[in-house]
Amino acid sequence: MADAELKQKVEELIAANPVLLFMKGTPEMPRCGFSMRVVQVLDAMDVEYGAVDVLPALQPLREVTTELSDWQTFPQLYVNGELLGGADIVEEMFDSGELAEALGVEQPEAAPAQAASAQAPPLQIE
Amino acid sequence: MADLAEIRRMIETALPGAAVEVVDETGGGDHLRAVVAAPQFEGLSRLDQHRLVKAAVKERFDDGTIHALSVKTALPG
Repeated sequence: MADAELKQKVEELIAANPVLLFMKGTPEMPRCGFSMRVVQVLDAMDVEYGAVDVLPALQPLREVTTELSDWQTFPQLYVNGELLGGADIVEEMFDSGELAEALGVEQPEAAPAQAASAQAPPLQIE
Repeated sequence: MADLAEIRRMIETALPGAAVEVVDETGGGDHLRAVVAAPQFEGLSRLDQHRLVKAAVKERFDDGTIHALSVKTALPG
């Protein structure tokens, strides 16, 4: 059962921000490759968006989004109050032009900086 | 460290008739990528298609075996 007060805050944030990204870290300093990929896509779209760092309250926020959107993992991109998806769906929608349509902007000419496939895999320290 | 064959089996069991490929993206065994083509996806949004795949392997997320699962869904070719 999600925390009622936190759930209400999240609902208010989603209502107040036409484009809202729940992510690990910040747009300036993403703490997860998936979050970074969505930031790169949004930057390429040149839209204003709100960003919420979920790391300080990861588990409580997971419970909230599970109840609100039946989605447990972050990042999560909300557009006009609706969950659009995580990194995979956002990238697919970017490639197909559906994201530009959902955001009401022109499809940019350039691909987002640093496609995920071009990056070296993260280092393992285990 | 996830057992890729087990993850594939979990998805196949949840979505009978699906063609499933699971790969280890980083070599670390906890960041996986699943490519799933399933007849059950017909008529569903991408979000709902992803929900079905994630639900199939939820147990391995919850117990910490998998940290990240990248999903690519399609209808059977």
